[in-house]
Amino acid sequence: MSASTPTNQLFLDPTIVAARPAAATGKPMLKLTDIEKIYQTKTIETVALNRVNLTIGKGEFVSIMGPSGCGKSTLLSIMGLLDEPSSGQVEIDGRPVTSYSDKELANLRNQKIGFVFQSYHLINDLSVLDNVELPLLYRSGVSGKERRQRAHAALDKVGLSARTNHFPSQLSGGQRQRVAIARALAGNPEIILADEPTGNLDSVMGEEIMDLLLGLNRQDGVTIVMVTHDEQQALKTERVIRFFDGSQVS
Amino acid sequence: MLRHLFTLIWNRKRSNFLLITEIVLSFFVLFVVSSLLVSSYYNYRQPMGFDYTNVWEFDLNPGQDTASRKETLRLLKQHLRATPGVVAVTHATHNSPFSFSNMNTDQFRYKGRIPSQTEWYEADDEMARVMKLNVVAGRWFDRRDENSGQDPVIINQKLADELFVDEAPVGKYIDDKSSSKKWLVVGVIDAYRAGSDMAANEPALFYRRPLEDTAKSKYGYDGPVLLVRVQPGSGAILEQQLVKDIKQVSKGWDATVNSLEENRRDKMKIVLTPLTALGLVALFLIINVALGLFGVLWYNINQRKAEIGLRRAMGATGAGISKQFLGEMLVVTTLGVVAGLLLTVQFPLLDAFGLGTEVYGLAMLATTVLVYLLTAVCALQPSRQAAGIQPAVALREE
Repeated sequence: MSASTPTNQLFLDPTIVAARPAAATGKPMLKLTDIEKIYQTKTIETVALNRVNLTIGKGEFVSIMGPSGCGKSTLLSIMGLLDEPSSGQVEIDGRPVTSYSDKELANLRNQKIGFVFQSYHLINDLSVLDNVELPLLYRSGVSGKERRQRAHAALDKVGLSARTNHFPSQLSGGQRQRVAIARALAGNPEIILADEPTGNLDSVMGEEIMDLLLGLNRQDGVTIVMVTHDEQQALKTERVIRFFDGSQVS
Repeated sequence: MLRHLFTLIWNRKRSNFLLITEIVLSFFVLFVVSSLLVSSYYNYRQPMGFDYTNVWEFDLNPGQDTASRKETLRLLKQHLRATPGVVAVTHATHNSPFSFSNMNTDQFRYKGRIPSQTEWYEADDEMARVMKLNVVAGRWFDRRDENSGQDPVIINQKLADELFVDEAPVGKYIDDKSSSKKWLVVGVIDAYRAGSDMAANEPALFYRRPLEDTAKSKYGYDGPVLLVRVQPGSGAILEQQLVKDIKQVSKGWDATVNSLEENRRDKMKIVLTPLTALGLVALFLIINVALGLFGVLWYNINQRKAEIGLRRAMGATGAGISKQFLGEMLVVTTLGVVAGLLLTVQFPLLDAFGLGTEVYGLAMLATTVLVYLLTAVCALQPSRQAAGIQPAVALREE
């Protein structure tokens, strides 16, 4: 880790991490109304989400907790427009997206949402820089030069500017997750959806990633929804939403 | 995006190497088959140089007859020529049109120029009339050649081009590599593709071999073959009569008769058999390559489900994913095609097998189109499958 110890203020500055946010503006960034998700086979009907109503304000950092299989990841997929609810309505930044076409949904994901996954989901055959450029590839009007600049800036932000030409297999777990965060940041999203971002990391690395996310939320006002099993990390966020058997319990 | 595809494929060069090798090998085999097919088609479209309709070939068998064949043949020709329904009669050698024998040589020279292998034939004065040959310069053999003290020959345009280039060939002498003999060119015909419809237009030369000179046959064989042009519409009655007359005049020679049209059909079957077999082998290869490509792509897509999910999350549409996989396959194909073209372009550059630049060029073009078509068709279904993968499901794949 020493070779890539970040110099960026965002990453380890204790004053930023410790400060409680004034970020949430009250305006809803994500609004779920009566969301149901039912998986149906010939013989079994499984209710993954049961009439979920949830509003997440702009600039808010929310964590979602609950036991395995309670519907957290399904909820995150629906929030990220990667999955369709069986019923109910999703609004992003005040716009209902239920009737959006595949292309419109893809554009919205590309413009507004950044994703961070537990298993990083980096493309092993692409360099760190190419991985970070990925969301910008799907954005029209961004030149190759601009893509490079924005990817470099995002990597600088997570303290990995010295690793641009490395491949994911040459990085530690923490570094990979930082690349994934840089990738989410490259598109300059308003929302980051993080699915157990520290789940594959040891506690030290987990803390680093958590600090990074807190920094993004508090310094840049990015709305973050994080699924986690870690109570300590959840308590660092502004709001903890708990799920059980597909229903919101708190 | 194209740069991204090239980067991906370059970084996956090890796993793509076998796929590219398969495409290069397929390209080469398809090129060979295409060259043969294009060459055959190209030849097929060329004029034959003669009219085979209404010409009957009589193969004569003197058996144990020891009488002068020359005299018998003279009588036969005279008799047949006088038969109503017969237009003209010529005495041919065994390399008659569509036969299974040919005679070639590399003995001819002119000003140091050596033509490619030249087919040679023996002909009499009536052959041009029987075969309706198209004399484009000079004349066909006639009585003037009989006591001229020269050795007259008639060549086709192809040999004229190779030997004389820009000079007019009529009246010029062709040297003989193996003797001091000089052959006087008295005429040029446009073409004579006697082998089959698929035969190439090779250089050809005709020696004069009047019946009176049978003993001097260059081939040393008094091959009793008669080609008879008959009136259009002549049928079995005339055929039977001619066979009967031959037996009568020759006092017992056997005669079998076939029309040149029948001979042509028989020869076509023989010529088309290897081409068909080759075509089937090529088809089998194409199916195998197609199945291979299909399998590799299917496997790739299943291996890369997580990547598909990720790309969808990053903003790719389903159609975009489909295009990406199709694009990757086309980039891989392009690498294989470029390597294949570099390999196959050596054939026209080295003038291998003498098929000509045009044939090789068309074969390369046809092969390129075929390989792209093949890979595109094979990539289409797996790419569509990739487009249909639910991103949320794909992201759960490790």
